[in-house]
Amino acid sequence: MSELHWMTANAAAAAIANGEMSPVELVKALLDRIERLDPRLNAFVRVDAEAALKEARATEAEAAQGRLRGALHGVPVGIKDIIDVSGLPTTCHSKIFENNVAARNDAECVARLRAAGAIILGKLSTHEFAIGGPSFDLPWPPARNPWNRDHHPGGSSSGSGCGLAAGFFPMALGTDTGGSVRNPASACAIVGTKPTYGLVSRRGVFPLAFTLDHVGPMTRTVADNALMLGAMVGHDPLDPASVLLPQSYDYMKTLEDGVRGLRIGFVRHFHEADMPADPEVVAGLDRVALTLRSEGASVVDVRLPALQEFAAVNRVLLQSEAWSIHSEWLRNRPGDYGCLARRRLMSGAFMDAGDYVLAGRQRSDMIGEVEAALREADILLCASSMDPACRIDEPEAIERTYMRQARTPFNVTGHPALAMPTGLSSDGLPLSVQFVGRYFDEAHLFRVARAWERAACTDALHPSFAG
Amino acid sequence: MQTREGIVAVDEKMVEAIARRAGLERALEAFHDDVVAAAISAAKVTERIRQSSGTPPEPFSEPWPPMVVVRR
Repeated sequence: MSELHWMTANAAAAAIANGEMSPVELVKALLDRIERLDPRLNAFVRVDAEAALKEARATEAEAAQGRLRGALHGVPVGIKDIIDVSGLPTTCHSKIFENNVAARNDAECVARLRAAGAIILGKLSTHEFAIGGPSFDLPWPPARNPWNRDHHPGGSSSGSGCGLAAGFFPMALGTDTGGSVRNPASACAIVGTKPTYGLVSRRGVFPLAFTLDHVGPMTRTVADNALMLGAMVGHDPLDPASVLLPQSYDYMKTLEDGVRGLRIGFVRHFHEADMPADPEVVAGLDRVALTLRSEGASVVDVRLPALQEFAAVNRVLLQSEAWSIHSEWLRNRPGDYGCLARRRLMSGAFMDAGDYVLAGRQRSDMIGEVEAALREADILLCASSMDPACRIDEPEAIERTYMRQARTPFNVTGHPALAMPTGLSSDGLPLSVQFVGRYFDEAHLFRVARAWERAACTDALHPSFAG
Repeated sequence: MQTREGIVAVDEKMVEAIARRAGLERALEAFHDDVVAAAISAAKVTERIRQSSGTPPEPFSEPWPPMVVVRR
């Protein structure tokens, strides 16, 4: 492939394993692209070129001897900057940690990617502490959307979405507490998965809310997402939420099996009644349902609690738990937060213990409702974002549209959920869909997502931004 | 604090008292509007979950996820 920057992780891993391409060649091409284009996009907080090239040379030598570390041997990855990478400071994109010391260890998810052969390119922009928004009052500028630099790229894993869409790397790590992997996936026309709660270790990731936090893979294709997740899953006894499951995680095996015979539950009321979506978003969702039906799935309407109820439970849990983490800094250094993060994090001070327990009970009921829907259907289909990404310099529009989404339900319940593109709006901005699966059944999630991707060629969507 | 169809009226004196009890004196002094905005946001969502319970919540039902104890 002449355009190395659009190469998929699967293709790169295969080319490196076969001796058709050197990891050094790939890393150099990406670093060159980052140097040229990132000053206008701000995907990176820190590029670690020297370490990346050193690792590329090491993996090149190993590949030449036929020794491959794993399925991602020589494939570059970007890391959201709330996730520890040994030798680099974790800033959380905040003045609070602007001068943080280097992390002593890799986060478990980073260690697993490294063990599979991945090469860390650097640390990526995020909304402050994964909760703020696109902010201009932080030590680093906010990431922008490669589809239109005047628009935001979603968040909080903003640099991850931006960098993938810009062709800076084929894989990125994101985190998702209220939709932060799936929002940039929706805004940037990439693929982002929030796995089942407990499937991927969060050790070494700066927490936002313990019972809602997930680490997830972000890529440009479904197959890359499956490959990347497969490298990260597994029990970690030092993450209290980590689950031990005696099953295989080779999501690639069933990826191309199609949807014939599967039952898809379409959650229409999310985007029709709860938060009426932009007509182009609705058209995209209908197109997905129609396509899956034409490929042999049955599609039936299902009902869940209203989005506003999920959102309220999510915010009470999230802001109560986040307050327990940030309260000392908010008391002593409130001016070191950006305005958006400060407001959101201080909300926890105004919730009481009874609210937190009540939210937990309602969460329990909501889990029951989603589980019931997933007894009638193998996969749920619903909206992700109700609108295309708005301009980055319009705080009111951001505040309004960020809440217009259907991602938080599955942080509340812990079910796996994947967001991906349906196409582009008439303004050339990405539109999206979300698929939701049963606990630990990411295999079906990828299978359905791949069927849609194959039918609609969504993996061919790239912005024209500077080639 | 009261909510009515998404409109929240907050008693600023009560907000300040709660903020002080939480140790947010510095934020009150330097970012008063942010403190009030945080209180309004909290009032909206807590009212929502209190209203959506409908019947009085079962006092013995445990929240999810259950506590997990690990030996480190």
